[in-house]
Amino acid sequence: MTLALEFDFGVVREYMFNDVILDGVWTTIQIAVLAQLIGVVLGVLFALMRVSGNRALGFAAGFYVWFFRGTPALLQLMILYLGIPRMFDNQTLTTELTAFRAAVIAFGVNEGAYMTEIMRAGILSVEGGQMDAGKSLGMTQLQAMRRIILPQAMRVVVPPTGNEFIALLKNSSVAFAIGLVELLGAANLIYSVNFNVMELLVVAGIWYLAITTVFSIAQAEIERLLAVSDRERPLTLVSRVLDLMAARRPL
Amino acid sequence: MNTRISFSWQLLLTLLAAALLVLAAACGGDDDDDDGGDDGGATPTEDGGATVEPIDISGVPELADGMLTVGSDIAYPPIEYYEEGTQNATGLDIDLMNALAEALGVDVEYKQVADFAGIVGDLTAKRYDVVMSAISITEERQAEIDFVPYFGPAGTGVLVQAGNPEGITKIEDLCGKAVGAQVGTIQVDYMNEFNKGQCKDNPIDIKEYPDNPTSVQELGLGRIAAQLSDDPVAAYSALQSDGEIEVAVTGFDSAPYGIGVRKDSPELKAALEAALAAIRDSGVYDQVLADWGQEDLAYQD
Repeated sequence: MTLALEFDFGVVREYMFNDVILDGVWTTIQIAVLAQLIGVVLGVLFALMRVSGNRALGFAAGFYVWFFRGTPALLQLMILYLGIPRMFDNQTLTTELTAFRAAVIAFGVNEGAYMTEIMRAGILSVEGGQMDAGKSLGMTQLQAMRRIILPQAMRVVVPPTGNEFIALLKNSSVAFAIGLVELLGAANLIYSVNFNVMELLVVAGIWYLAITTVFSIAQAEIERLLAVSDRERPLTLVSRVLDLMAARRPL
Repeated sequence: MNTRISFSWQLLLTLLAAALLVLAAACGGDDDDDDGGDDGGATPTEDGGATVEPIDISGVPELADGMLTVGSDIAYPPIEYYEEGTQNATGLDIDLMNALAEALGVDVEYKQVADFAGIVGDLTAKRYDVVMSAISITEERQAEIDFVPYFGPAGTGVLVQAGNPEGITKIEDLCGKAVGAQVGTIQVDYMNEFNKGQCKDNPIDIKEYPDNPTSVQELGLGRIAAQLSDDPVAAYSALQSDGEIEVAVTGFDSAPYGIGVRKDSPELKAALEAALAAIRDSGVYDQVLADWGQEDLAYQD
C-alpha cells in the first residue's frame, strides 16, 4: 500500500487572489461587520430593557433572547429569506430582500440576542452603588446609565464581543445555503468545476485565519484604549512595537 | 464546603453521563434509520427480472460483501428524491439501480452526499462504490472518473414564472438576466459557455445554489428570471408548483447520464455494464422508464 499525497500548492497560489475568492472574502467581512453593529445596538437596547426594572420591557427582552438564542441562525435566515416573502407575496419586499441583506439582518438580529446577555453582564459588573452615586448628583437613571455605568461596562464587554465577532465571521458561511456566495461558498463554486476540493478549502481556511488574525489584533488595541489602569492594560502588537522603538531611541 | 463541592462534581458527572447516554441513543437511532432506509431502498423491483442470467461478480472487490454503496444527491425529483415525509430514496435512478443490483445479486445502500459539487471527489476518495445522481457525462468529470452511461441524453429545461413574464423563448433571451441553477451542474457550465459566446456583451447573472429545490424556490419568489435543470426535473418541478412556474424552453444542449465508477475499478464497471445490458434485454429497463413516464430518456449512443 502506498501513501500518495495529492495536493497541488500551485492551485492554492492560483486561487488565493482569485476574483471570486476575493469577492467572497469581502462579502464575509461585510456581513460580519454589519451584523455585529446591528447586534451591538440591539444588545445595548435589550440589555437596558432587561435591567430597567420595568416588567413589560424586561419580558419583551427576555422573549427576544429566548427565541433568537434558542433557534439556529440558519433557520432564522431561511425563515427571513425563503419563508416570509412567501407569506406576504409582495414582489417589492421579495426583490429588495436580497440574500446579502437577509444575511445581514438575520445574523444581526441573532447576534443581538447574544450581545444582550453580554451587555447585561457588563452592566451588572458595575457596582450598584455607582448608580446611586450618580442619582445623588442629580442625574436621571438614563443619564447615570449613559455617563457612568455603560462606559465602565464597555471594558468588560469587549473581550466576549470580540469572541462573538470572530464566531460571526466564521458562521456566516452557512449563508451559502440560500445561495449567498461568501468565502466558503466561493471556494465551493470553484471546486465544483475543477474538483480541487482540498486546495480550495485550504485557500478558504487561510483567508479565514488571516481575517480573524487582523480583527484579533484590532480587538487587543481596543482593549488597551479602554483600560483604565496599567494593571489591566494588555500588551498589544502596536504597544510592543512602540516599546521597542522607544527602547532603541538614543538618550 | 467540601461536601458542597463534591456534590456539584457529582451533579456535573451525572449530567455528563446523561449527555453521553443521549448521544449514544441518538447514534443508535441513526443506525436504525439507516437500516430501515436500506431495506426500503434495496427492495428489488419485481418487474419480471427473474429470467435474467446471473452475472459473475466474483472478481469485483467492491461487491465481495454483497453490498453496493451508492452516493447520490437525493434532492432532484423525479430522478432521485426521498418519498415525501420518509427516508426512502425513490426515483428513476433509484429504480434503475435497484434493477441493476438485482441483476448483480447484491443489495444497495444509498448515501446522501454532502454536496453535489463534491460528488466526484467523494467517489475518488472511496466514500462510495459508485455515484449515481443524474450526473451528466462531461469531459472534466471523465478526466477524474469513468462512467457507465445509462440514460439520456437529457436536455436542459428552462423554468420561468407562470405566464413567462420575461418572454423567454430561446437561449439568447437569458442574456443579461439573473438565472439560477445548482452549483456543480452541467447547466452552470452551459451558462459559463453562453457568457463567452452568445451572451458575451450582456452576460447572464449566474446564481448558483447548493441544491436544486432552493433555486426553484427563488424562481417562484421572482428573485431570478429563469432556472435551469435537466428536462425531466424541470417538467416535474413545474408539475409540482401548482401553476406557479412553467417550462419555457426544453431540449437544448445535452449529455447522457452516467454511473460514476473509479478509474481503478474496471471490474465493477464491466459488471455494471453487463447488468445494464441484461436488464435492457429483459425489458426491465424499459419498464422502469415507463413507470416514470420518461420513455424519451432511454439511452442513445
